[in-house]
Amino acid sequence: MPLDVHRDDIPNLVQRMRRRDRSALSRLLTLASSGQQREALTAELPTQLKSTPPVIALTGGGGVGKSSLLGSLTTHFAERGERVGVLACDPESPVTGGALLGDRCRIASTATSDRVFVRSLSTVSGQQGVAQNIDLMLDVMKAFGFDRIFVETVGAGQGDVAIRQVADVVVLILQPQTGDELQWEKAGILEVADLVVVNKADLPGAAQTVADVKPQLGAADGQGVSVITTSVAKGEGIDGLCRAIERLAVSPRK
Amino acid sequence: MQKTTVSGVAIQPLYTVADLEGFDPEHELGLPGQFPFTRGIHESMYRGRLWTMRQFAGFGRPSDTNERFCFLLEQGQTGLSTAFDLPTLMGLDSDDPRSVGEVGRLGVAVDTIDDMLALFDDIDLNQASVSMTINAPAIVIMAFYVAAARQRGFDLKKLRGTIQNDILKEFHAQNEIVFPPEPSVRLVVDLIDFCTQHVPRWNPVSISGYHIREAGSTAAQELAFTLADGRHYVEQCLNRGMNIDAFSPRLSFFFNAHNDLFEEVAKYRAARALWAELMRDEYGAKSEASWKLRFHAQTAGCSLQAVQPEVNLVRVAYQALAAALGGCQSLHTNSMDETLALPSEHAVTLALRTQQVLAHETGVTNTIDPLGGSYFVENLTRQMKQETRDCFGEIAGQGGMIAAVENGYFRRRIADAAFAYQRAIDSEEKLLVGVNAFQQSDDPSISVMQIDAATESAQVESLRDIKRCRSSDAVLRSLDDVRRVADAGENVFPALLEAADHRVTVQECVDALAHALGRFRPAPGW
Amino acid sequence: MTERTIHQRVLLAKVGLDGHDRGIKLVARGLRGAGFHVIYSGLWQSVDSVAQAAQDEDVDWLGVSILNGAHMTLVPALLETLRKRDLTHIGVIVGGIIPQDDQEKLKQLGARACFGPGTSIDSIVQFLSK
Repeated sequence: MPLDVHRDDIPNLVQRMRRRDRSALSRLLTLASSGQQREALTAELPTQLKSTPPVIALTGGGGVGKSSLLGSLTTHFAERGERVGVLACDPESPVTGGALLGDRCRIASTATSDRVFVRSLSTVSGQQGVAQNIDLMLDVMKAFGFDRIFVETVGAGQGDVAIRQVADVVVLILQPQTGDELQWEKAGILEVADLVVVNKADLPGAAQTVADVKPQLGAADGQGVSVITTSVAKGEGIDGLCRAIERLAVSPRK
Repeated sequence: MQKTTVSGVAIQPLYTVADLEGFDPEHELGLPGQFPFTRGIHESMYRGRLWTMRQFAGFGRPSDTNERFCFLLEQGQTGLSTAFDLPTLMGLDSDDPRSVGEVGRLGVAVDTIDDMLALFDDIDLNQASVSMTINAPAIVIMAFYVAAARQRGFDLKKLRGTIQNDILKEFHAQNEIVFPPEPSVRLVVDLIDFCTQHVPRWNPVSISGYHIREAGSTAAQELAFTLADGRHYVEQCLNRGMNIDAFSPRLSFFFNAHNDLFEEVAKYRAARALWAELMRDEYGAKSEASWKLRFHAQTAGCSLQAVQPEVNLVRVAYQALAAALGGCQSLHTNSMDETLALPSEHAVTLALRTQQVLAHETGVTNTIDPLGGSYFVENLTRQMKQETRDCFGEIAGQGGMIAAVENGYFRRRIADAAFAYQRAIDSEEKLLVGVNAFQQSDDPSISVMQIDAATESAQVESLRDIKRCRSSDAVLRSLDDVRRVADAGENVFPALLEAADHRVTVQECVDALAHALGRFRPAPGW
Repeated sequence: MTERTIHQRVLLAKVGLDGHDRGIKLVARGLRGAGFHVIYSGLWQSVDSVAQAAQDEDVDWLGVSILNGAHMTLVPALLETLRKRDLTHIGVIVGGIIPQDDQEKLKQLGARACFGPGTSIDSIVQFLSK
């Protein structure tokens, strides 16, 4: 990548970004992600913001429908006039360091593109499953002026726990279980979730999955954690999920 | 050194009787025209009647394609096969901003019943057999077709033809998708249901493996996924309360004819035997007509190369041979210059001649299932059947077809197979003449079909006129009806028929359906 | 210390209504194998949505697959849009069935390369790795 003074001038970029310049935001996110000039970046970002948007993490195993759900959620909030930022994470190949980042195509849409910003990033494997420097990236996004920020994690199990550090609300997405194994029991993820969603609720086994997960919740601290069912295919449960997210954003558990 | 088929299946240097342990020809093969139909679905096969030579056509405005249709009928072709343009395939009208540059380009543009009437102007729909290749909005197009036929006074009970209407393979491979998986299947069944009752000589679905193969699957996957799709449609029809022997005889299939001759033949034979077993033993169909798998074949588009295009003629000839040895009911042979351009008349003629030489000069039609009894082919046929059964088990393990679709099971398998094949090509483990072997530097340049801007603007203009002249009250009312029945879970076909008569457009119908059914964006499924 | 190796980011996009994605998925895998971070735009993209994605994802390369024959309209439009958005540093490569003459014209307009059918995945990867 050629070194371009204009494109790496952090003070200038931050100034532009604060004025809602989306291309400056994009460039700063790259710099934040790389970890280079972390101090310089941190120095330029405002220490206090008038209002801080809630950071909502969507976590859960592969194939549960995180991206589709996020597509519905972002559309919902965008249609209400909110500016929404999304960080969508996918795992890096441990061998080559390359990554296939395909979540964008289910989240971004032409209808909402002026309101919804999606950034795809990779998570270094073997680490905690959270993208490196995500805290800095989130600081940048908060300074931009989004009304709401979503982070979609890889669903690596341990990384989902780490997301607790940076998110205000952690939503665990499950899908109806067809096997006996309750895959989400491992790695303590249930203890960090503020909300559990059983997606693809139109498929068989949904009710059973809800029944199975409920007794596992609230065991840690006694605070009630809700279980919501959704079906992106049928467009059901999305409103309820949005309301739950809003409630939690206002009065988070942590 | 290990030798494999195009699909990567290991092949022995020699096959003997030892490779057919427990071979019981009476039960495993049967006679042609007898369960399980391995050798062919008709008693006399090509000795009685040759396969139908049915070549695809469609371009520009309906009047342009109509001209070609009339010409072909004059030349003695009895079957018409319609290709639609991308906007129509995706449920968009010619005046939608997303249609710009695509109207009438890769097929004919159809927006309203007026277009359907123009497309089949002067054609006796009770005589000609009409095939329409369309999927996501198939039910809308079929409604327009039936409405047009009705307006022209044709007897619906005598309409003959096929509409592809196979949405599941779109989710696996071709991506002509509008609605989510389950509601999409509901529309497929609505169409099958309506036709079974009112257009009984029509094939309401062409369960396709062609496109799955084109996306990069192996031959066994092509077979397994296609039959799995067929099973799902059958089950949904049964859930609807339909009588299996009423709708099954009209289910038709569509397979690819790829390069590896023996693998393809084994595939077709395995297909017939498996389907017969499923229909009779698992679904309890009583009528023999329900057990017979009828299929159309098309030579593999993905095997055509842009370099040294004349070599494609040779490829197509071998592929056509496979289809004939495999007992297809009808066949389309690709033209040598057909990558993405409309083939020249010369090339189209050569493609037809390919079939004619095959049929009349090679002698392969003199006897039925000539490869039957070959140790190699019978062994491959068995392998195919087993792989397909294993695949059925995997799909069940996912929670059934819809769950497997939503999990990306099919897409991932296909992408993996495509990747394995590409690696074999890139590493020169597999050779492609002209591409990674026997290249020529003096290759003639490729021609690409040029879009005629006038076609698009004429179609858009005519659509605007229609929208001005039609009764907007009637349009709104019929769209309300479509939305209402779609919401209520009733068969949407009758409401679409009504709407067609009031000159509602394809996109308006699709939007009304989407209101109740939702829209869908596929994940890559690499 | 959380500095990390910079991996080049590539946006692969399908423009137009055509849904054939076999080729683009193979390119994606090949690039991933060579250490690239590949972002996929999905199907049914327009010139504008692709440009917006390229900007938001701050990519180094943009690969568009155009299989409907309209490359001589779409690619110049895309290059122009990128210019207007000050994104000329992004290397644009085009995949599709593109006659030699058109390839030359597109390169003159700013496309870095055109890859036709039969191109090996390795050669595309090599080109972007240079």
